[in-house]
Amino acid sequence: MSTTELTREDLATVSPAWWAAGLLTVVLLAVTFAVEPGLFIDQAIGGLVYGMVLVLVTLGLSLILGLMGIVNFAHGAFFMLGAYISYSVVVTLGLPFWAALILAPLIVGVVGVVLEITVLRYLYDSDPIVSLLATFGLTMMIEEVIRAYWGTAPLEISRPSVLTRGTDLGVTTVPTYRLFLVGVAVITIAAVYLLISRTDFGLTIRAGVQDGEMTEFVGVNLPIRFTAMFFLGAALAGFAGVLYSAETGMRTTMGETFVILAFVVVVVGGIGSLFGSVVSGILIGVSAYLTPVVLSALAEVTNQPWLALQIRNLVPYLVMILILLYRPRGLFGEEGFLE
Amino acid sequence: MSGETATGEGPTEALDRARSLLLRYRVPVGLVLVVLLLRPVISHPLLLGYEAVAATILIWMVFVAAFNLLFGYAGLLSFGHAMFLGFGMYAAAIGVSGRAGAPELPFPVAAAVGIAVAATVGYLLGRLTVEKGEIYFAFLTLAVAQAVEFTANRNPLNLTGGSNGVTQNVLPGFVESTRGQLVVVFTGLEIDWYWFVSAVFLVAMLALWQIVRSPFGRSLVAIRENGDLARAMGINTTRYKVQAFTISAAFSALAGSVLMIDRYGASQETLSVITSGDTVLMAVLGGVRYFFGPVAGVFVWQFTEEFLNEFEVLHLGFTSVDLSGVLTHWQFFLGALFVVLVVVAPLEGIWGYLRDWVRDLYVRVKGVAE
Repeated sequence: MSTTELTREDLATVSPAWWAAGLLTVVLLAVTFAVEPGLFIDQAIGGLVYGMVLVLVTLGLSLILGLMGIVNFAHGAFFMLGAYISYSVVVTLGLPFWAALILAPLIVGVVGVVLEITVLRYLYDSDPIVSLLATFGLTMMIEEVIRAYWGTAPLEISRPSVLTRGTDLGVTTVPTYRLFLVGVAVITIAAVYLLISRTDFGLTIRAGVQDGEMTEFVGVNLPIRFTAMFFLGAALAGFAGVLYSAETGMRTTMGETFVILAFVVVVVGGIGSLFGSVVSGILIGVSAYLTPVVLSALAEVTNQPWLALQIRNLVPYLVMILILLYRPRGLFGEEGFLE
Repeated sequence: MSGETATGEGPTEALDRARSLLLRYRVPVGLVLVVLLLRPVISHPLLLGYEAVAATILIWMVFVAAFNLLFGYAGLLSFGHAMFLGFGMYAAAIGVSGRAGAPELPFPVAAAVGIAVAATVGYLLGRLTVEKGEIYFAFLTLAVAQAVEFTANRNPLNLTGGSNGVTQNVLPGFVESTRGQLVVVFTGLEIDWYWFVSAVFLVAMLALWQIVRSPFGRSLVAIRENGDLARAMGINTTRYKVQAFTISAAFSALAGSVLMIDRYGASQETLSVITSGDTVLMAVLGGVRYFFGPVAGVFVWQFTEEFLNEFEVLHLGFTSVDLSGVLTHWQFFLGALFVVLVVVAPLEGIWGYLRDWVRDLYVRVKGVAE
C-alpha cells in the first residue's frame, strides 16, 4: 500500500509511443471541445462524478485487499446496501438526506464488522480464491435480503433543496448535486489518504501489511485494527452507495456492476497502490463519459456517421485490456503483488 | 454386477477381475447410470413430478464439467464462463435462423462455428491472462464476460437481438416441437429429446474424462498443485493452462449450442454475471476435486431451484407449516450453505462428503462383518 508519485525522472523515461498517445488524446479532446463545448463540460463533470464514486468504492476494496489479502466480492453488495438503507432512512423514517449520509455508512460498516468476525476472520490464512468464493456466497445472501426487504423495483429518494438547483458554468449549467458529490468525495479520499499515511494508526496498519508477526511482537493489537479497517472499507462503500443512488436511484443490479468496475479500477491503477486507484478511477470515469462525445464530434468533423458509437459501458473494459497489453502491472502497480 | 467367469478361473478371481474392471471404468458406468436414472428419479411424484427439466440438467452438467476442467483441474477460477456458453448459444441461434442477412446454416455447422469462436476467444484471452495470478484471472474473465454481455445487448448489425435475444425460427430442421415436447426426427426415426441430449452428454463427458486422465490432465493437476515444481520438471505451464482454457471454452460452447434448442433460442440472461456465478456455485457445491463433483452440484442446485419453487406447505403429521413465503428466498439459504461449505472445506463439496461417508460406512459394515 505504498504511494507512488510521478517524478521528473519518470517523465524523462516515458517512451515516444506514450507521448504520441498522450498528444493524440489532447488533440481529440480539443477538437471535441471546439465542436460541442456545452456537451463536453457536461459529460466531463458526469464522468468526474462517476469516477469519484468508483474511487470511493475502490478505496475500500483495495484497503481490504492490500491489508488482509481478502478479495472482497461482497464489496458491491455493501455499496448497494448503503444505497437501500439511505432509502429507508429518508423515505420510511422521514429523516433528512444528511442523516442518511451519516447513518447508512455506519450501518453498513457494522454489517461489515459482523461478517468479518463471523466468517472472514477464519480465512486470513487460506488462499485468496477461498475468500473470493466465501464473499461471493455472502453477496448472494445480502442481495437476497435486499430483494426480500426492499423489492426488485427501482427506488428513488429526493435530495435536499439546496442541492437540486443548477450551477451556471458559462457554457452549460450542471446540477449542483454533482459538484457537491465531487467535493465530498475529494474530502473523503483525502481524509482516508491522510489516515493511512500520516497517523499512528495508519503507520501500524502499514507495518502490519509488511510484516504482521513482527508488528504484533512490538505490541500492536492487529486483529482489532483489521476489524477497524474492515469497518472503514465497508462504510466507504456504503457512503459511495448513498451518494451515487441519490442521483441515479437504487437498482438491484448496481452491486455486481460496481464490484466488477472497482476491480477494473484496481487492475488499471495497479494492485497495491492507493494513489494508482485514485488516478485510474477518475481516468476510467471521465474516459467512459467522454469517449462517446469524442466519437460523435469526430463523426461530425469527418462526416462519418458510423463513428458515433455509444460505447460508454464498454470503455472501462477496453481501457483495462489496453493496460494489460501494454503495462500489465497497472499504471502505478508494484510487481509481484498477488501474482 | 455379473463377473464373466472364464474357464480355468476360480469364482473369486473372476469377481476380483470384474471389480477391478468396474473400478477402472467407474466413470463411464457412472455416467450411463446418471443418464438412465436422472429422468425416472426426478419425475417421481414425490420429487418433482415432471420430467422436462431432465434434459436441461444434463446440458448444465456438461457445461459445469467443462468449467471444472479449468477450475478443479488447472486451478484457474473463471468468473466469466457464461460468455462461452453464450457463444455456442448465439452462434447456433443466429446460424439456424439466418437472421439479419447471416448465412443460414445447418445446426451442426452453426454449432461448430460457435465452438470455434469460443475456442479462439478462450485461446486469446488465455494468452493474455493465465499468468496473471488467480485473482486477476477471476476478475479479468468476469470483466471480459461483462463486455461481451454489453456488446450483445447493443445488438451489433442486428444479429444478437439486444435484450430480447434470438428466439425466431431457431429450431433446426431435425427437431420438432409437439405440445411443448421436443422430438428429434432423424431419417424417419423419432428420438426423444432426452435421449438425444443424453448422447451428447455421454460423448462430451467421456471426452472430458479422457482429457482429465490423460498425461495432459495429470500435468494440469501438477500445475495446480505446484506451478514452480511443474515448470522445473519441464512442463510448459503457460501453454498447458492456455490449452485447458481453450478446451474448456470449446466444451462450454458445445453445451451452449444444445442448450439453445432446449430453451428455444438464445437469451441475453444466459450471458449475465449471474450465470457465471451460478456456474462457480454449482461446481464448488458439488466438489471441484472430483470428476463427478459438477454432476452432483448441478443436480442439487437445479433440483433445489425447481423443487423449492414448487414446495409450499410442510406437512409434519400433526401440523402443517406454510413455507412458501420463506422458500421464495431460497437463494439466501443456498448462499449461507455455500459460505459454510467454503469456510469448512472449500474443495470437497457434496461429492467429497458423500464419498467419505460411503467409505466410512463400507469400512464399518466390513468391520462388523469380520
